[in-house]
Amino acid sequence: MTRIFAAVLLFRVLLFPAFLSAQQPNDAIYMDKNAICIVAAYGHNSWDTYWENTLKRQNLNIGTNTTQSFALMAAAGITDKLNLLVGLPYVSTRNSAGNLLGQKGLQDFSAALKYKLFNNEGLSLHGTLGGSIPVSNYVPDFLPMSIGLHSATASARLVFNYLHKSGIYFTAHGAYTARSNVRTDRDSYQANDKIYNSDELAIPNATDGGINIGYLKNSLQATLFLERFDCVGGDHIRRNDAPYPTNDMEATNIGAYVKFQPGHFGVNARYAYTTSGRNVGQTTSLMAGILYQFSIKKSSN
Amino acid sequence: MKMKLFPVIALVGAFIVACDKDIQNPLLEPYAVSSLDENAGQWKPYILSSVSDIVVPEPKPVTDPAYLKELDSLKNYIAPRVTPENRAAVEHWGAGAVYRWNEIARELSARYNLPPASNAEGKYPVPDAANPLKDPKFPFANPPYAARALAYLSVAQFDALVTAWNYKYKFNRKAPYKIDSGIKPLLPASDLPSYPSEAAVVAAASYTVLIAMFPGEVPYLDGKLAENKNAMIWAAMSTPSDITAGDALGKAVAARVMAKAKTDGMSAANNQSRTPAMIETAKSIGIIEPWKSQESPLRPTMLPTYGEVATWNFSKETMIAMRPPKPWIVGTPEFEKDLKELQGIQKNQTREQARIANFWADGAGSYTPPAHWHRIGAEAGKDAKYSEVRMARTLALLGTAEMDAGIACWDAKHYYFTPRPQQFGVKTSVGLPNFPSYTSGHSTFSSAGATVLSYIFPERKNEFEAMALEASNSRIYGLIHYRVDCEMGVAHGKTIGGYAVQRGQTDGSGL
Repeated sequence: MTRIFAAVLLFRVLLFPAFLSAQQPNDAIYMDKNAICIVAAYGHNSWDTYWENTLKRQNLNIGTNTTQSFALMAAAGITDKLNLLVGLPYVSTRNSAGNLLGQKGLQDFSAALKYKLFNNEGLSLHGTLGGSIPVSNYVPDFLPMSIGLHSATASARLVFNYLHKSGIYFTAHGAYTARSNVRTDRDSYQANDKIYNSDELAIPNATDGGINIGYLKNSLQATLFLERFDCVGGDHIRRNDAPYPTNDMEATNIGAYVKFQPGHFGVNARYAYTTSGRNVGQTTSLMAGILYQFSIKKSSN
Repeated sequence: MKMKLFPVIALVGAFIVACDKDIQNPLLEPYAVSSLDENAGQWKPYILSSVSDIVVPEPKPVTDPAYLKELDSLKNYIAPRVTPENRAAVEHWGAGAVYRWNEIARELSARYNLPPASNAEGKYPVPDAANPLKDPKFPFANPPYAARALAYLSVAQFDALVTAWNYKYKFNRKAPYKIDSGIKPLLPASDLPSYPSEAAVVAAASYTVLIAMFPGEVPYLDGKLAENKNAMIWAAMSTPSDITAGDALGKAVAARVMAKAKTDGMSAANNQSRTPAMIETAKSIGIIEPWKSQESPLRPTMLPTYGEVATWNFSKETMIAMRPPKPWIVGTPEFEKDLKELQGIQKNQTREQARIANFWADGAGSYTPPAHWHRIGAEAGKDAKYSEVRMARTLALLGTAEMDAGIACWDAKHYYFTPRPQQFGVKTSVGLPNFPSYTSGHSTFSSAGATVLSYIFPERKNEFEAMALEASNSRIYGLIHYRVDCEMGVAHGKTIGGYAVQRGQTDGSGL
């Protein structure tokens, strides 16, 4: 790909509270060498229905749970084939009913390196290594109000992409994310029907994967996607209990993404909806961002 | 085709797979006790009229062929066949039977501490003891329930152990390894007479109480009972005849204790028909804005007549006489000051305030505040290398004080029927309990607990009192109690704990 496309850093809202996972390292779009794209994005995610283990229910003492985020993200072309992606969101939560106190704060800084491993005749393969680390001392286990799980993560992802000359493209991607255990304010808690005399919570690792079908030409990108997130192990929300960071959270989302960037400035928007899940909210997720792209040097090619 | 990143990805993958995330509970070193408490057979039981209420048959002499056969089996049949799993069980139970059964009760409390969900008609079904595993599960092990379960557990352990100590020193059968030096115990050797087995006494007494308190957990508890008894055989601490006698004694004592439990008024503790009259009483003494459930649909208050359940260490007349005075009335400057404090914290809750609120929250799904204090007491007893019987005395004094604290606090709560701060728009960072505000249960439980533990471990008084004060303040930081609820709860708890201390000072232990 020789054209200059802004790599889009998208917050993928998959989990119960406001779990904003890394960026959009799951596409085949690169910044050219020395090009930088900065994104300011607003996200709004909400649910009034959730899966208590497998039981789909509402809760009059939560009403609608809403997570808002404001994030700054950037993508930079280290080379034409190697991009650096970084992002940091500010997150706030609230319920429309009941009396749980909303939480807010800077969440997790994330970074990823994306590398083009193979590219021939529109077929390409990409590898992404990423990680995230909490940047503030927020409370991880006051779900569903906590702004995140406070886990440091490391993930490895492969992205397969086919781009037809017409601009139609297809992407399939999959990742494994290792998530660190976290410390809570308690010295004992219940999980898996057991008492743990410890302040350390085991956060299950996670896998995710998905497919995109879209159109990418000139200044326009439009995509439909289907994605799946699964924890590797974990326990389930007990009957009428609150969710907990140890839970085996699972979600299937469908959605659409559009970006339009005729010049330095651009805009993007994303919509996603959780069609099925376990130990998560049935989330409607909306995101809109403004992009600004520039080059720090004249491109050598 | 460049594949340079693949080695890196493979490395990350290997790291991920190798990473062991499991949380292990800390291993506890079995200890040699600091004192055998030889005279504990003279200590005063709670429910039994004397330590000879239950008759334990005289054991066969150690020269009897049947007993010699038991020793031979320990040495030549069991010891060579002890598996690593058996050893792990020995290590586990080596921390102490009272200690471990208290831990089991805490775990069950956490498993069952979930409020029933509302049904399609907007009602909250009441858990059914006859169908314990049906939604909603029985019991809802809320703080009053857990306080009571742990109190009877500890009392049964104590009464059974003082009886056991009486017979131990009466019959004076030495431990197997004291009789046959070829028998090597897997736990610290002791001069404590081994008949009846103290571990079997505790296991059987605890089992009997817990299957009544958690009737859905019989298979789980069957497993624990068998494992505890077997571990003492694998460890060569006891012979099967020591275990059998201990098992029978533990069950017999616990049956007496549970007979008392059945008549203590708990079955009438959820009499919701009494709440309208309670609200009228509260209004008549000046409570202009009584408590209302903040849940949707409205949930009936938790156990409104728990205050009428029988107390352990003082009479009902004493309980009424020491009931905390009337709190601030809504609209008074004192009330406004307390409310303003909460509004200020809500706006600018510090991370340290949130930490304290979370540490002591012990809310739905947890083992509850009284069980938190049992844990503190059990750890203190272990650190002091207490014998089984002194550990049981510690937890019985503590457990009865915790249950008394629950009863007296629930009496005050439903006598004054005062509103939570959430009735005035305050949110919470820990979750809102569904019962009236004044006085704070956490403050009462914690202060009573700290008072008892300070008597037993005087060198740690400052530490326990600081913990109780922090637990009390945690309810202000968590935004669900006014300062007056907490301060009066602490004072009340101290008085309640004092009655347990009086009991301890006159129980014949001389401690």
